[in-house]
Amino acid sequence: MSVTLLYVEDDREIGSAVSADLREREYAVRWLESGEGAVEAAAGCQLAILDVMLPGLDGFTVGQRLKRAFPELPVLMLTARASIDDKLQGLDFADDYVTKPFHPDELAARIEVLLRRSGASAAAQLQLKHLLVSDGGQQITGAGGREIVLTGKQFQIFSYLLRHLGQILTKEQIYEAVWGEPYLEGDKTLMVHIRYLREKLELDPAAPEIIETVRGIGYRVRA
Amino acid sequence: MKVKEWMRSRSLLSRYLLIIATAVLFIPVIIPLTLIGYGVFSAMNNEDLPKEYEPYTSISALETMWHQEALGLDGASAEAVGRRLQELSGQYDRAAMFWVDGAGGTRLVLPWREGPEAREIPVIPQRWSAAEAIAFMKSSAKLEPLAIVAFIGDRADAGEGFMVMQIPEYLRDDVQLYSGLESWYMVMLLLFFVLFILISLLFFNGIRRRLLRLQTAMAFGGEDGLPQPIAPGKPDEIGRLEDAFNTMIAELTASRQREAEEEGLRRRLVADLSHDLRTPLTVIRSHLHVLGKEEVSPRGKESLQLMDERIEGLSLLIENLLSYNLLSSGKMQLSLERRDVLRLARAGAAAWYPLWEKEGFTADIDLEGEPLYWNVDESWFRRILDNLFQNILRHARSGRYVGVAAEVREGRRVLVISDHGAGMGQSTEAKGAGLGLAIVDLLLKRMELDWKAESSGQGTEIVIYRPL
Repeated sequence: MSVTLLYVEDDREIGSAVSADLREREYAVRWLESGEGAVEAAAGCQLAILDVMLPGLDGFTVGQRLKRAFPELPVLMLTARASIDDKLQGLDFADDYVTKPFHPDELAARIEVLLRRSGASAAAQLQLKHLLVSDGGQQITGAGGREIVLTGKQFQIFSYLLRHLGQILTKEQIYEAVWGEPYLEGDKTLMVHIRYLREKLELDPAAPEIIETVRGIGYRVRA
Repeated sequence: MKVKEWMRSRSLLSRYLLIIATAVLFIPVIIPLTLIGYGVFSAMNNEDLPKEYEPYTSISALETMWHQEALGLDGASAEAVGRRLQELSGQYDRAAMFWVDGAGGTRLVLPWREGPEAREIPVIPQRWSAAEAIAFMKSSAKLEPLAIVAFIGDRADAGEGFMVMQIPEYLRDDVQLYSGLESWYMVMLLLFFVLFILISLLFFNGIRRRLLRLQTAMAFGGEDGLPQPIAPGKPDEIGRLEDAFNTMIAELTASRQREAEEEGLRRRLVADLSHDLRTPLTVIRSHLHVLGKEEVSPRGKESLQLMDERIEGLSLLIENLLSYNLLSSGKMQLSLERRDVLRLARAGAAAWYPLWEKEGFTADIDLEGEPLYWNVDESWFRRILDNLFQNILRHARSGRYVGVAAEVREGRRVLVISDHGAGMGQSTEAKGAGLGLAIVDLLLKRMELDWKAESSGQGTEIVIYRPL
């Protein structure tokens, strides 16, 4: 079953071009030219892409209504308004914000990230080098079909990295997402957990391939 | 009431002058008033005075009566005098009486019949020498007890002796109690002054309360940060001050509103402009993408790639232009908060890292150490970093290096962003970096931070620091 995207865009030229591009990328697209009926059309969709400047209801209002009706539905704002205030207003409820003119590849990448984060990605199974990861990290099979079992915190860290596949996450971001409390500079807890995690996941923990260290910034799991 | 209206419309000064004038005018008024009051009061008191005291209220009347009696007895026999005295004693039963004959012998002593000293016989010498007469007169001059003396026949040379009436002390004290005119004055004047002070106090307290109300209204702002207008009061000096205050608030509110409207208009204009410029760019870009998927020669692909980059650059330029417009108007509100800028720099670098990787840059990120707290607006600080990183990517590409570091320079911690490009102003690479840096400059100034750039042919170093 293909992933269905709700797309609200009033500009026909952009709308048809983006819809065509997304269909080429094997998504089913429901394109509306205004926010009217967006909530009804969103039933059964896995993600909503909204333009901000729409006739009638603006994109922010539509987005908030969608979030109220479907709290789990990822919403991506696609807009020609790029001021910081607009971004902040959008990110109050939206999951991501892409400004026009965007490159179609960038839009597709952002959609993929959001879908993966919400667990609606087309790829239920993920091949990371020698690892086969299923169900967002619930099941990990290592080299030679060996199953890898993670502890609670290790799983939380790994699944957080998987949900942000390809993104570099800072130490603070990971620590605060997993432990739910502010990161204190100099805290080695995360480093220790990453070391144990690598011992389980990596072929050679001294030269990690799965969880990459980005020096001075943080960690990344590359797709 | 006309007077009340008049009082309301007068100035504070005239109202206080009125109080003082009333007080001064009242002094001549209060004396007759006191007298009248005293008259009324003592008339009322006289009724209260016991009836049996009545004959003794006026000493002079008693004296007159006594002398009349003495005159009437001129040439009377000793028995007649005694009889008359007996009769008088019946009338004035609270007075003692006696008489002394021409030879100096006490003839008849009639004691007090009523009162606390009743039946007591006054101590009187039986025979009167000159010395005893003088001693008696001296003690009656001290009024202990008061003695009224009259020669029989009302002349000393009649040689018929004299008669004496003694009025006891308690009687005189009781009668005199009701006649303290002086203390009456004192009490009235005191009352009057207390009243005057009270009215003055009330007057100034009224002023003080109104001034405090005004001060409270000025000191505490409403929701919009402006003080609220206050209810109009009396049309005096403070009332006029309140009016002026209200006018000022109204003007301030109007000007705030005008500013907000202008700001709203500007924002809308910027948003519309941004929309109108970006929409065609989006269309062009998506068509370029479609074109790229067709059969295109390598040279064609390269030009498509270049066009795409130009569109990206144009988009950035639009954003910077519009941001600069908003920022330079000074109307943009920044919400400054204490933030760890190393953390913000790390997050900024994380977002840019994939691009640096793609472009083959070496990224040297050294943001370790204690947090560096500055008062910044998080999103706009992010914008500063984005502009600086953008400049490196676009204008210092040749160096293939980006450095982000926390360092200590001249005794303070600074944030250093460096590249190994051809340097600012040295080459064509730097063209177009100006607007991005102008925004950086504006934003840093608004966050009370400063920056300096050191540029040479080997690269550029931007140092951001908090001025001492």
